[in-house]
Amino acid sequence: MRLELRSLLADALLGLADDEMILAHRDSEWTGHAPILEEDIAFANIALDEMGHAGIWYRLVAELRGEDPDSYPDRLVFHRAPDEFRCIRMVELPKGDWAFTIVRQFLFDSAEVVRLQALQQSHHAPLAKAAAKIAVEERYHDRHLHAWVRRLGLGTEESHRRMQTALDQLWPDTVQLFEPPSHESELTAAGLFPAAEPMAAEWAEGAAATLADADLKIQRGTPGMNGGREKHTDHLELLLAEMQSVARLEPQASW
Amino acid sequence: MSDTQWPRFEVFVQERPGRPHLHAGSVHAPDPEMALLNARDVFVRRPECASLWVAPSATVRGGTAEELPQLLAAARTEPGTSSIEYLVFAKVEERGTLTHVGEVHAAGPETALAAAQAAAGATRPLLALWVIPAERVERTLPEEAPSMFDPSRHKPFRDQAFYHIQTALRRLRRDPSAIGHRQSVESKR
Repeated sequence: MRLELRSLLADALLGLADDEMILAHRDSEWTGHAPILEEDIAFANIALDEMGHAGIWYRLVAELRGEDPDSYPDRLVFHRAPDEFRCIRMVELPKGDWAFTIVRQFLFDSAEVVRLQALQQSHHAPLAKAAAKIAVEERYHDRHLHAWVRRLGLGTEESHRRMQTALDQLWPDTVQLFEPPSHESELTAAGLFPAAEPMAAEWAEGAAATLADADLKIQRGTPGMNGGREKHTDHLELLLAEMQSVARLEPQASW
Repeated sequence: MSDTQWPRFEVFVQERPGRPHLHAGSVHAPDPEMALLNARDVFVRRPECASLWVAPSATVRGGTAEELPQLLAAARTEPGTSSIEYLVFAKVEERGTLTHVGEVHAAGPETALAAAQAAAGATRPLLALWVIPAERVERTLPEEAPSMFDPSRHKPFRDQAFYHIQTALRRLRRDPSAIGHRQSVESKR
C-alpha cells in the first residue's frame, strides 16, 4: 500500500477507534448505577466490548503508522490532548438519563452494524478480518438495544417522553455518523475504506424503521453542526481529565 | 409499597451441543426475550455456552426431596383433560444442579410432577425435581449462537492476581513517596 494511503487509512480508523473509546468510557459511567442489576452487568459488558473494539482499531492504526502495536494504543488514549482526538461529538455528551443512553447507543451501534458489514470488503486484509470479528459482537449489541428502544418507546407515557426528548437532542448529531473521511475518494478508489454515502442511506432507512416501530418521531430539518472530527464539545476535555488521570500520574508504569 | 421488581426467570445453560441444560440461577426481566438477553449477560459472558433457556419462575412446579411428597399428594388424574408437554429437571447429586433429564406429558403440573418422579426417580433418589410447561420455555435459536455466545470464548479471563496489584500496593505502603517519581510502581508484565 502506498505510504499516503496508509496514512489516510490510519486517520480514518483513528476516528472509529476514538468513537468506541469515548463511548466505552461514557457507558462505563453506568457501572453500579444502571436501572437494575442485570442491566448493570449487561451494559458493563457492552462498555467492555466497545473498549475492546477500540483496542482493535488502535492496533491497526499503530501497524499502519509503523508504531508498536502494544504501546501505541495506550499513548493515543492516555497521552493525547482533547483537540487531538477524532471522535464524533455524540459520544462525548454526558450520559444523561437511561433513555438518552439507550438512544445514543442504539444510533451508534446500528451505524456500526452497517459500517462493519462494508468494512469486511476492505482490501486491507487485517481491517476486513477485524471488521468480521467485531461485527459478530455488534449484532448482539444491536439486538439488546433494539429490545430496549422498543420497550421504552412503547412503555409508559414517561418512558416515551424521555426517549423522544433524547432522540430530538441526539438526531442532529447523527449527521457525523457517516461523515466521509478526508480524501475519501482515494481510499474508496483503492478499495480500502467504504464510501460514506451508501452506508448513510442504508443506516438511515433501518434506524427510521426501528424508531417508527417504537413510536418515536424523527424531527427533521434540524441539521447538525458538521465540520469534521476536529471540533469537540467542552465535555470531551472533562471526560479525558478523568479518563487519563491515573495513566498520567505515573506515565512509566506498566500494567 | 408495591413491588417494583420485574418477574423472575429461571436460567438453564447448555455448555456444549448434546449436553443437558443445567440450572444456572435466575434473572429479573420484564418479558421472556429480555430474560434471555439478561441471562446471556449474567451467566455466559465467560464460560462456554451452546444454548440458553429461560422460564418464568412462577411456572416452575417442584421442590426438594423434603417438599416433594406434599406436592405429589396434590396430583389428581383428571380424565378428559388434554395433556401438555412439561420439561423435567432433576438433581441427583449433592454437588450437582438441576439438570434437564427429559419430558413428560400431563394434564396439570402436579400430575406432571408425579409422572416425572415415577420416571426419573425410579432408579435413584432425587434431591430435587422441577417440571416446567415446555411452551413457557424461551430458547435461543442455533443460528443465534455466534453473536450470543461465541465472542466470549475469545476473551481472556484474568483474575485479580494477574495484575499484581497487591505487590504494587505493598511496595507503595512501604514507600509512599514512590508514587511521585519514575521508579515504576509495577514492574512485572
